[in-house]
Amino acid sequence: MTTTGRHRIALVLAVLTVQGVAFALAVAAGRPTAYALFMVASAAALAVGADAGLPGIAAAALGSALLVALALPLVLFVTRQDPGLVVEKALDPAVHRMLYLTVYAPLLAALFALLTGVPLAYLLAKGFPGSAVVQSVVDLPLVVPHSVAGIVILFGFGEGGAFPSLSILGTTVGAVLALSFVSAPYAVDSAREAFESLDPRIEWAARVHGSTPLGAFLRVSLPLSARGVLSGGVLAWARAVSEFGAVAVVAYSIRFFYPPAGEVVRSSHAPVFVYQSYLTGSLDESGAVSVLLLAVSVGIFLVIRSLAADGGRVV
Amino acid sequence: MSLAVDLRARFDADGADPFTVAAEFAVADGETLVILGPSGSGKSLLLESVAGLRDHDGRVAVDGRAVGDAPPEERGFGFVFQDYALFPHLSVRENAAYGTRYHEETRNPEGLLANLGVADLADRSPRTLSGGEKQRVALARALAIRPRAFLLDEPLSALDAPTRAALRTDLADVLADETAVYVTHDRTTARALADRIAVMADGRFRQVGTPEAVFERPATPFVARFTGSNCLVRDALPSVVREALPGGPRVAVRPEHLSITPAEESDAATAEVVRTVREDAVYRVTVAIDGERLDVFTDSPPEGARVALSIPPERCHVLAASDGST
Repeated sequence: MTTTGRHRIALVLAVLTVQGVAFALAVAAGRPTAYALFMVASAAALAVGADAGLPGIAAAALGSALLVALALPLVLFVTRQDPGLVVEKALDPAVHRMLYLTVYAPLLAALFALLTGVPLAYLLAKGFPGSAVVQSVVDLPLVVPHSVAGIVILFGFGEGGAFPSLSILGTTVGAVLALSFVSAPYAVDSAREAFESLDPRIEWAARVHGSTPLGAFLRVSLPLSARGVLSGGVLAWARAVSEFGAVAVVAYSIRFFYPPAGEVVRSSHAPVFVYQSYLTGSLDESGAVSVLLLAVSVGIFLVIRSLAADGGRVV
Repeated sequence: MSLAVDLRARFDADGADPFTVAAEFAVADGETLVILGPSGSGKSLLLESVAGLRDHDGRVAVDGRAVGDAPPEERGFGFVFQDYALFPHLSVRENAAYGTRYHEETRNPEGLLANLGVADLADRSPRTLSGGEKQRVALARALAIRPRAFLLDEPLSALDAPTRAALRTDLADVLADETAVYVTHDRTTARALADRIAVMADGRFRQVGTPEAVFERPATPFVARFTGSNCLVRDALPSVVREALPGGPRVAVRPEHLSITPAEESDAATAEVVRTVREDAVYRVTVAIDGERLDVFTDSPPEGARVALSIPPERCHVLAASDGST
């Protein structure tokens, strides 16, 4: 390792230690606000030390204020939980059912979004007459309030809707539909961007040397876009895991087959479950469940980051 | 196999004027036709249309069989791109073998890689190769399907000079028995590889002929300049030079046919030396005579600021008055 590299690591460790001590002192003194001020001031001081100039110092101070706003509640939230209660919730079979449902239903929604969305993304990347309109339809769920999305789905696919034989109120199908509605745009857009970044000549090379359009897609375009497609799927999954509004309307309480029990059980999608326990139980109880849910989210987030770390280059 | 093309294609690029390419040509079995033209002349669009990669009207026939309505995968051409267009997710071996599963008569990809000197790279990813190595793999990929005709789009343009020279020699060997259409803006490459040359500008062929004909007897001022000839306007020259030239308002003469000697008082046609540039084996000396500039190739740099210029009339070629594209 170079001397510069060692210096850099030493500097980061020193900054983290100082921040940790300051945070501990502020919490011990019952004044987390003081820590927020300290962090903004210390970021500015570091920028001064790094000779960053006035714009650099201003950027460091403003940026650290945002970091405080984003990260401080999370840190305080985790540190203020009762570990005993978290463990108790972690061992609760009802919470297990909820966590299973929370991973499983969004996974189905993400797979549905990928299966139907990837071919569409490819068409959108190629462009066709009216593709701008189709793209708008795909992105519409991003701006529709999610509770409204839930109502829309009930009217569209519920009783008297497009598919009379489909039972969606309180079913897994309904939950997956609601989750797909809000998460599919992420899968389509990520895949479309991946397809758009491909050099068209690579696909041409496949076509000229014998591949049909489908063959070129399967042998060349799709593998080369795999990272974008996959991260779109994971994004859609993550978005579905965190969905509240639409699923609360369509499937507040969901009947689903739970393999560990070998039978159909009832539970709620995690955000709904947390809201429910906040309404019916206590803040502490919903906090303990939230910690578990947060852990699932962080896990998915890490998967996304590792997928995004190296974009698919072309030769 | 022979190739016959007579096509028109119109291209609407965003924000640019529509551009039309129209060309009619035939390539005999085993012949290499080089399409030589400046950037933006439409030569790549023409080649991509022949390959079926772009919409076009008109006829493309291989051995008399029309393939103009067929998709690219059914035309049976091999294509080499300027920027290689290798498949980055496949190994060199898999790249070379890519098209073999679609064709009945194929060549052994391993053998091709060996012939092209890249057999030891077979397990590597194309990402790790140099430009010259990538283009050799792309060449193997096209050769492996025993293409009915070879289409090459500036395959040497992205390479550095020594690599380009080496690969040009190998290309000459590879293309010796292949029916090929080779697109380039580089006249050195054109002259080295072509059985015939078509000079293209603004979407049209301006002259088609043997390299000798195109370089020594350019049809128009544009072709003359683009192939490196001096293009002289008779009326702009002093009478002593003018009288020595063959008839016609414009004549072309190649720089290697001109010679300069140190100027003496008695010399009738003297010229002013503007610039001397060393180019590989020769000096390119730019001289001005009554404001008309022309290039002369010499073995040694000129002495003094004025030289006597000698233009052999038998080496001059009379040009058509104009070609409408200058």
